[in-house]
Amino acid sequence: MNDFFLQTFWFVPFYGLIGAALTLPWSSGTIRRTGPRPGAYINLLMTFLAFVHGTVAFWQSWGQPTHQLVFHWFQAADLDLSLTVELSPVSLGAMELVTGICLLAQIYGLGYLEKDWALARFYGLMGFFEAALSGIAISDSLFLSYALLEMMTLSTYLLVGFWYAQPLVVKAAKDAFLTKRVGDLILLMGIVALSSYGAGLDFSELETWVETAPISTWTATWIGLALIAGPTGKCAQFPLNLWLDEAMEGPNPAGIIRNSVVVSMGAYVLIKLEPIFTLSPIASTVLIAIGSVTAVGASLMAIAQIDIKRALSHSTSAYLGLVFVAVGLGHVDIAFLLLFAHAIGKALMFMSIGSIILTTSNQNITEMGGLWSRMPATTTAFVVGGASLVAFLPMGIFWTMQRWMSGSWEISGGLLALLMLVNALTALNFTRVFRLVFLGDPHPKTRRTPEVAWPMAVPMVALTVVAVLVPAVPIRWSLWLSPIAPLENADLPLIRVAMPLLVLSGVVGCTIGAKLQLRRFWARPSDRTQRFFQDLLAYDFYIERVYELTVVWLVVTSSKLTSWFDRYVVDGAVNFVGLATLFSGQALKYNVSGQSQFYVLTILAGAGVLVLVAMGWLFGLQW
Amino acid sequence: MLSALIWIPFIAAVLIGFGPRSLDSRQYRSISTIVSSILLVLTIAIAVQFDPSQPGMQFTEFVPWVDWLGLNYQLGLDGLSLPLLFLNSLLTVIAIASSSPTLDRPRFYYALILLLNVGVTGAFLAQDLLLFFLFYELEIIPLYFLIAIWGGQRRGYAATKFLIYTAVSGILILIAFLGVVWVAGTESFDYEQLRSAAIPLKTQLPLLIVLLIGFGIKVPFFPFHTWLPDAHVEASTPVSMLLAGVLLKLGTYGLLRFGIGLFLEAWAYLAPWLAIWAAVSALYGASCAIAQQDMKKVVAYSSIAHMAFVLLAAAATTRLSLLAAVCQMVSHGLISALLFFLVGIVYKKAKTRDVNQLRGLLNPERGLPWIGSLMILGAMASAGIPGMVGFIAEFLIFRSSFPLFPIPTLLCMVGTGLTAVYFLLMINKVFFGRLSDAVTDLPPVRWGDRIPAIVLSLFIIVLGIVPNWMSRWSEPQIASLVTDYGRPHVSVNERVSMTRD
Repeated sequence: MNDFFLQTFWFVPFYGLIGAALTLPWSSGTIRRTGPRPGAYINLLMTFLAFVHGTVAFWQSWGQPTHQLVFHWFQAADLDLSLTVELSPVSLGAMELVTGICLLAQIYGLGYLEKDWALARFYGLMGFFEAALSGIAISDSLFLSYALLEMMTLSTYLLVGFWYAQPLVVKAAKDAFLTKRVGDLILLMGIVALSSYGAGLDFSELETWVETAPISTWTATWIGLALIAGPTGKCAQFPLNLWLDEAMEGPNPAGIIRNSVVVSMGAYVLIKLEPIFTLSPIASTVLIAIGSVTAVGASLMAIAQIDIKRALSHSTSAYLGLVFVAVGLGHVDIAFLLLFAHAIGKALMFMSIGSIILTTSNQNITEMGGLWSRMPATTTAFVVGGASLVAFLPMGIFWTMQRWMSGSWEISGGLLALLMLVNALTALNFTRVFRLVFLGDPHPKTRRTPEVAWPMAVPMVALTVVAVLVPAVPIRWSLWLSPIAPLENADLPLIRVAMPLLVLSGVVGCTIGAKLQLRRFWARPSDRTQRFFQDLLAYDFYIERVYELTVVWLVVTSSKLTSWFDRYVVDGAVNFVGLATLFSGQALKYNVSGQSQFYVLTILAGAGVLVLVAMGWLFGLQW
Repeated sequence: MLSALIWIPFIAAVLIGFGPRSLDSRQYRSISTIVSSILLVLTIAIAVQFDPSQPGMQFTEFVPWVDWLGLNYQLGLDGLSLPLLFLNSLLTVIAIASSSPTLDRPRFYYALILLLNVGVTGAFLAQDLLLFFLFYELEIIPLYFLIAIWGGQRRGYAATKFLIYTAVSGILILIAFLGVVWVAGTESFDYEQLRSAAIPLKTQLPLLIVLLIGFGIKVPFFPFHTWLPDAHVEASTPVSMLLAGVLLKLGTYGLLRFGIGLFLEAWAYLAPWLAIWAAVSALYGASCAIAQQDMKKVVAYSSIAHMAFVLLAAAATTRLSLLAAVCQMVSHGLISALLFFLVGIVYKKAKTRDVNQLRGLLNPERGLPWIGSLMILGAMASAGIPGMVGFIAEFLIFRSSFPLFPIPTLLCMVGTGLTAVYFLLMINKVFFGRLSDAVTDLPPVRWGDRIPAIVLSLFIIVLGIVPNWMSRWSEPQIASLVTDYGRPHVSVNERVSMTRD
């Protein structure tokens, strides 16, 4: 009995799925009398059960050896597709994080979407989402993870498109789906190739396969790049980063999950794939390059945003970029800790801004101010969340960085510079947003702003407490993921100055943020150079224009060309042949009913000619 | 047993065709639904008795027919025909049940649909080349009338185009069949006998090419496809469902059964070119689909793109890839039938299929929320989202053909990616957004309109979650297409080296 919850840990993802299925009568409008709320409650209950089940299993998994459960899903010929799940403290811990944040976000959603008529549909989708997320957490099979990533892509599409009557939402949902799909598809190519080269698709099998991999470096590079593409889309990394920003059109409770655990799951798969990247130095380098470019670029973009959600969502991309860098360097444990600390901190910040958006019905930070005294819980959440994301005060990210710089890994000057830059820019951005939203005089739109009701306040406060406790994890984390044995060279000069420098960068960021001249009511700078740079950042380096001029243009033009070719050349030729055969186009186009003998004659004649030609050909070949 | 599947609908068709005028359209629909349901039950009964582990044809029937011609009434069932047979029976029930209750000339209509069923069933079961050809031709006639009489505005043009194309296809197939019998020098058109005949590669090649074009028109592959969008656009919804769901499969079935079955060496010789053909066809279909403005045309071009994957799998000719081809046929049959059905409902309610005129149909009060949700499901299934049958079929195809033809496989995967593009564009325009003013006051959708779609969706989901239920019928047997009869067994490794040489 004791082990029951541990042995059935694989069932946890099914709670969400069952919840989603049970809400169908409400979300489809079959039951109208009760309103949509029962559907939401059912889902909450299922998520709660999942959380409890996961917690007990997590508790029991400590000290247990890691082992896999294999379910042979599909076997045919020489192919055996098995769905493997892993029982280990790490996988169960990740699942715990997912179900926990989902539970909080769902309680939060009760308040946030209180008056939405499609509440049940929202909860059904959240249940589906949660199932996919917690499935990835425990999955030990690349195939299963891929399938679940695709489920996530689908549910992102549906959740972002939740308010589908608005034009911006429609575009955002489409972009989110297609961007992720591009990544997923390339990932699928990688999976197909891997599987074809004889690798089993379980992560543990891949690890042993890599040691004796029978493929050339070039093949390994291509496969590595393909495998990177999937997480690049999922984690909103350059050049597939814009969807996350646009996805902010969706309801905020889903945004909480998306910016914390959803993006993390892409990186989680990437972490599990790390052994493959060791095969190809190019793949690792690309990983580091993507991560660095995104980390710096997204941090810069965030600074110029005036939409409160977008200002934070760009920073999500930036942190995931750091995770990419960590994976590229092989610092897997750190990647994992970064994900964890970021997920909690970012979830908390999104809860906080959700409260602000609901109370003020406004997302433009230049029209806010003076909220701190009116919304204490929200302010606390924002401060704690922000502080735990910046290496400044001794909270989540600080301790993660401390672990990174503790001498267990080789730290290059470039890495330290990157971390400092991102840290400073993030600190600057958070300070800027904080000043605009919470400090200063109240503005017309922020004058009547009571603190949010308990369904939103309770999860927010609870997560605030969790965020304060987060440092325990990086401090006590035993390094069990990284393939390379930790170094012990804490006396390197770079290591000694690393943490002070990082903290200093945080201080500098905060100071600039605090001194920065704030522009209320959004006026563009009059100075041309300044305006150019501000626009460049505010419009995301015009990446969208680049998309439009390249990929989108290519697809649209080629489809138009093909369609024209189809209509006038292929079909035209056919019709021309038709005319030639029938001696008259009129017969084919307008005279159908009365001319059937004519057709039969033509067909017979044509058939005769063809038979003759074919026979002649055959005879020609024979003799 | 198998004959019953052919003769019950035939007799029913004759009886309905000459049935009393006093019965109205709705009653004829009920009668036909009952007949087709009996056929479905019968198919299931046969499937239950079918033993997948036993190689070769089962339930064989043999009646000498035209002796001097070498034509015999010879039926049999194996792992290749069974899934398609089931698909045919299922879709016939759904197509009949979803036909309009207020149809003109109902006796003729239902008689034709049942005759169509006769032709398709017969073609899947025939073990005699000439008998296959007869059934193959038989199926053209009812379909021609179904399009030409109950079709849309340009039905005459579309029906004639269909007729000419398919007739040419039939003639080419006949030429190939006559050629193979003549070259092999056998007494009859018996399939098994012909398979064991040794035909030199040089002779196989022209015959196979003729056969490829013949069936290629039917599937259809680029550049022989232009009849399909026209036929689909003009055909009524049930006919479209049958056309996309079952009739196109006759082409791929023919390629597998006769192309690979009779001309294995030539097939292996041409395989790299076939893979390229598949990639071109897939990308071409997908590109055209993106530019279409008519919902039905989008689905029709998507059909072309997805059927090309079957050719890719067939080109690889391994055990796994042939199984994948069968899975893809079933999967495409279910998904395209669902999509055509849903488009049909949209057309019926909104009176237009133009994506530029429709908007916001997902509106829960005045729109078509159920139909829209199912449409999203169908589109996602078609785009290969896991959990639905399209994913596993396509994954098997790509997985099995990648070692042999990496570049065409990758191009086909790009085609899958484009599926998401054109369906998403369509869904975004038609179902998302605010309800357009042009199409308000949609008549309510009845459960009768939803149930067929729900049934198809359930099949799509269940087979996607438990694909073994689809593959278990074919998996042990499909290999016999490549291995039996003392022919050289072409394994993957040999084929890899062959393509590299």
